[in-house]
This record gives sequence, structure tokens and C-alpha cells, in this order.
Amino acid sequence: MTATLTPAPTAALPPPAAPKARGLGERLAPYAYIAPFFVIFGVFGLFPFAFTFYVALFDWNPIGDQVFIGVDNFTRMFGDPRFWNATGNTLSIWVLSTVPQLLLALVLAHVLNHARLRFALFFRMAVLVPYITSVAATAIVFVQLFDRDYGLLNWLLGLVGVEPVDFVQSTWGSHVLIATMVTWRWFGYTTLLYLASLQAVPRSVFEAAAIDGAGSWQRFRHITIPSLRPVIIFTVVTSTIGGLQIFTEPLLIASGAPLTCGAVRQCQTLTLFLYEQGFGQFEFGYGSAIGVALFVMVVAIAAINYLLSTRIKADR
Amino acid sequence: MKLRLPLFAAATALALVTACTPGTGGGGGGEGDGKSFEFWSFSAINQKLTVDAYQAKHPDIQIKLTEVGTSTETAQSLTTALAGGKVPDLVLIQGDNLPQFVEQPQNFVDLRTLGADDVKGDYLDWVWEQSVAKDGEVLGVPTDVGGMAVAYRTDLFAAAGLPTDRESVSALWPTWDAFIETGKRYKQATGKAFTDNAATSVFYQAVNQVSEKYYSADRKLVYSTNPQVKTAFELGIKAATAGITAGQSSFESAWSAGMAQGQYAAVSAPSWMLNSIRSTAPDTKGKWDIAKIPGSGGNWGGSYLAIPKRAKNPQAAWNYIKEMQSPAGQLEHFTRVGALPSTPSVYKDAKLTDAKDSFFSDAPTGKIYTDSLLALKPFYIGPDSAAIGQEFLNAITNVEQSGGNPATAWDDAVRNIKTAIGE
Repeated sequence: MTATLTPAPTAALPPPAAPKARGLGERLAPYAYIAPFFVIFGVFGLFPFAFTFYVALFDWNPIGDQVFIGVDNFTRMFGDPRFWNATGNTLSIWVLSTVPQLLLALVLAHVLNHARLRFALFFRMAVLVPYITSVAATAIVFVQLFDRDYGLLNWLLGLVGVEPVDFVQSTWGSHVLIATMVTWRWFGYTTLLYLASLQAVPRSVFEAAAIDGAGSWQRFRHITIPSLRPVIIFTVVTSTIGGLQIFTEPLLIASGAPLTCGAVRQCQTLTLFLYEQGFGQFEFGYGSAIGVALFVMVVAIAAINYLLSTRIKADR
Repeated sequence: MKLRLPLFAAATALALVTACTPGTGGGGGGEGDGKSFEFWSFSAINQKLTVDAYQAKHPDIQIKLTEVGTSTETAQSLTTALAGGKVPDLVLIQGDNLPQFVEQPQNFVDLRTLGADDVKGDYLDWVWEQSVAKDGEVLGVPTDVGGMAVAYRTDLFAAAGLPTDRESVSALWPTWDAFIETGKRYKQATGKAFTDNAATSVFYQAVNQVSEKYYSADRKLVYSTNPQVKTAFELGIKAATAGITAGQSSFESAWSAGMAQGQYAAVSAPSWMLNSIRSTAPDTKGKWDIAKIPGSGGNWGGSYLAIPKRAKNPQAAWNYIKEMQSPAGQLEHFTRVGALPSTPSVYKDAKLTDAKDSFFSDAPTGKIYTDSLLALKPFYIGPDSAAIGQEFLNAITNVEQSGGNPATAWDDAVRNIKTAIGE
């Protein structure tokens, strides 16, 4: 250690200037910088959102009278078989799309994280291609693939002697069709989320397990899944919220009766029911009431997410 | 957050439209320059030809034509615009969408103030009546009507051993029961479907040939008790269960593919459907012909021109209506695009009676369709008519395509209608 003293660098600087009384403009400037977002959010997000709750209390004809009817829209909704049908369809499509999607993504993420995978970057980017394809284009292609009389899938089924399946007109068929589209669109995105999280796990853990004789399945079961637990919960919740709002796919698959997704509302989801009532029948009040119900469901699921994720943190 | 966007978007759309009440935006109307006007029409109906013809005659007038989309999309956009947005000066409204606007006449210019009473006599009275609101306000001028007929494939009929010329084919089906029987003969001979679907090609035609439909003449709901509706519905179910339909709902992509490939041999075709067949299956030119509709005459479709209350140039828009929707103007429009005039005085005009369509084996389209109109019995169409009709169609499609039980179809349909219209 030398005893040479070097002057502290700060000493060379002039003392900090006493804070000047800033002008009003300067104090408001930061708010002005962030204002565009909040103004637009307020106009297109917050206000309409709050207004929906207001409209839900009215019998609201957009080009006629608006009559206050209290909670009648909600009473009507709870007794409306179409609402429960839409709720059931939404849940069914959600299960059919979320479960295979998350399982597929888990396996894919595990494979893509493999140390000896060649062209890893290519494969990691390739899984995102369905995600960046427009929903409408996906729907048009899938409807043709699944068509009863001219679809490729039924042609293949016909080769092995299976009668043509009418995917759009049957309840389970239309749910499978929509779930396939949703899975196709989202599995790559979920895979990347898992992969990002997996890459935070030190590779040495996997290597040590391999040296100790753990096979691929054991590494998947005992390393991949436990280390992904928080992000799995996260994706379950986000895909649930997304699943509650499936709209474009059911709107596009039954072009003969688009607003009901078929003759017997076999694949009408909650958001499509909202749209049908609001913009097909112009019952804005009733449509808003459905929107409020949807909001309550989303909040409930977000709350469950919060409880689960705090418990996971506490477990560690 | 990303995933919550659709909810916000839906809420936004709802609230944006609801934020303004009718008549609050953009003044009282009529303050335009009178030299130009905005015109909203449907796409794919060649409206531009007629607009161009008008502008050629009136070079000082500027028309801004917007083809909004399908007739339903146009009505939705109009509703949104009336609720608080920028309205056009002139708008085309399809007949099925008209009742919801007639219920709210305060949104439109009463055309009597511009001279509608002077031209009223030019139009089919029952078509005109549909645009008259409760206090007698006239909201729209009819631009065309659909009429009714059946388009059929002569080559496929010949292959099945059926007659092919239009008189003999018309004679095959004086009634809808005979139509279904013909379908069974065709199916037996070829093993293929006879018509596209039971809902639109049978029920929707038969139910438009009644003297009283979903409402009685004094505007009461009678859809569940009217025996004429029930008869038409049972015809639809009979066709659906007879195995003579291809189970292709009108205008779906497989319906188009089926038409192009000859999957079915006959389809109910109002005059506007001819354009659709022509563009859907261009390779079948000359293989079609047109026969009379079973049962009596009737009408499916037709549109109206209306002027919103807040229009900036109502007078310019009215001048356009008066000239282009006059009997002479509609006749000219017929020769240009084939839309059937709503003005009976031209029905005997040689330009209409001699019109032949080479795509349909030179069928005299003008004559066939006007005959179907003159045999028509007018009935009242109410605000819930479209919703009621849709539920009946759905019930038949359910039996035909989704394995629904034909025995309970009627009760299911009536129950669904009660839910839908909140009765």
C-alpha cells in the first residue's frame, strides 16, 4: 500500500449549485411528456371502460331512447340460456386450447433448450411464425382444412374409411377447430416464455444431473418443471384471460351465421355474444352488462393468480 | 395487459358509440354547399355505374361514393354514425335492416318535406309502405326489389332425366311439396343433392309467399300462432330431412365451392342472386336457366335510399333520388346491373320484357321476376322480423346440418325467438 494521497475527485468539482426556484413550466414538463399516453388511455381505455358500467344499467338504443332500468339487464342475463351457453362454450374452448398448448410448449421449450441442438436460433424463431400470422388468415386456412366436403382433413379421414366430420356445425367439432387455431397461434409464444425462463437455470444443474445418470425424462420432470413453476402459473393465467376473450376465430368460422357462430350458437363465445347483442341487435345496455360480467370473471381469475403467486414465493 | 386489450377494445367501441346521443353532433344539417353529397352504398352491387351516369349528366355535382361493405355492415355503420358520428347525405338500406330505422324516424329526413308525395304513385305500394313510419313520415325510396325464382342447372337436370326447358321445369313444381318430390327424383337418379339448403332455398321462400307473416296486419306478433308460418317451417323441415339438400348455408365458402362444382342443381334465386351466381361460378355460364318459384309469387330483398336528418346536403341527395330512382332511372339501372325496378309502370317496357341473360340460357329475367312480384301478397314487416326469421332459419339449419331433432324444431325455434326478442 502506498501512502500517496490522491485528492478525492469530488473535491475538484465546484460545489453543487443551490437549487434554483424552478419555473412552473419546468415542473409541469415531465407530466406533459407522459401525458399523451394517459390522455389516449383515458379517452379510449378508462372512460369507455367506466361508461360500460353506466350503460349496463339502461335499455340503451343507440339511435333511439335510453331508459334507466337498473339491474334488469343483469337479471335478464342470469336467466338467459344464451349467456350460459356462451359461458360454457368459452370454458370448453379454453380448456381444449390451453391444456394442449401449455403441454406442447413445455416439451418444446425443453427440447429447444437442449445443449446439443443445432440451428437452435432458427428453431426458436420458427415457433413464433404462427404468432405473427394474422388471425384472419389463420382462420381462413383452418376452415378450409377442416371443411366437411372439400377439406384436406376429411379427405385424409376418408382414405381410412371415416365418414366426413362436420367440424363447424357440430358442437365439439367447432370447439376443437377453434381450440386448434388458438393453440396453433399461441404455442410458440408460450414456448419462448418457458425457454427464456429455462435459460436462467444454470446449465451446470442439467449437466450435473446427467452425470449422475438422470435421463432426459428425469431431467424434464425434476429440473425443467420445478424451475418453470412461476412462469407456468403466469401462462395459465394469461391464457385464461385470453381464452375468456376469444372472438375472431368463432366470428370467422361460420360465415353463414357469423354473429352466433353457427345455427345453434354451438361455438358462440362470451365476447361474440357481447358483440352480437351490442352490434347485431343494437342492445347496447345488454351488451354492456355482458361486458361487465366478463370483467368480473377476469378480475376473479387475476385475483386467484395473485393468491397463487404469493403462495409460491412464500414456499421458497 | 396485452391480453386484456380485446375487452378494452370492446368497451371502447361500445362507449364511443354511446357517448353521443342522437342529434348532438354536427348541427342540424342542411348547411352544405348543395353541390356535392356523400353516398354510402353496399359493395359488389355496381352502384358506381349509376353514380357515374348521374355525374355525366350533372358535371357540377360531386358525389363521394363510399362502398361500406355488405348490407349488414352498411346498416351497422349507419347506426354508429347516427348515434354520434359523421353521417352521409344519402345512404342505401337493405329491406331487412329497414324496420329498425323506421322505428326511429327522428334520425331521418321526412322525405315528404322534399316532395316524396309527388312520386309515391310511381312505386309498388307495398314496397313503399315499408319505409313509412308510425306518424306517416316517409323515410326511404325503394330502389329495387328482389322478386323470386329458381335457378337450375340444365346439364345436371338432363343427366338426371328431368326436363330442361324452363316451362316444363316450372311445371314440375307448382307447389313446394312438388319441389321436394322433384328433389327426391333427382337424388334417386344421381345420388347427389338437389338444392343447396333447406333453410333459405325452401323455408325462406315459402315464408315470404304468405298473406301474413310474423306480424298481423294490425302489427301484433303472430309468428308462433300463424298457421302460414308453421306450414312454411314444416316444408323447410321436410326438405331438410328428405336428404335432398347439400347442407351448404348460403354464401359460405363451401356453398360457393359447391355451386362451382355442381354439388347441387337448383338454388332459389331472387334477381340479385343472379349476380352472385355469375361471379361465384363463372365457368358454368350457359349451363343455368331460370324457372318459376313454387307456390305463388313473392319477394326476397330490395333496398331503400334514405337521407339522415343531419345530412349537410339533403336537397342534392333528394335531386339524385328523384332522377335516378324515377321509373326511367330504375329501368336504366336494370339494363346496367340487372336490379329489378320497384316501379311497376316499366314492367311492360320492352327494355325490361325483352331483356335476356346469356349466362342463364337467355332466360327472360325481367319478365320472370316481375311476374313473381305481381302475384305477391303484401304483409307487414316489423322491427323484430329479421331476428325472428333468423331463429327459424337457424332451427332448420340445425336439423339439416347439426343433427337437431326435427320433432322439437318448431318448439325450439319459438322458445329461441322469445329469448331473442325478449317477449
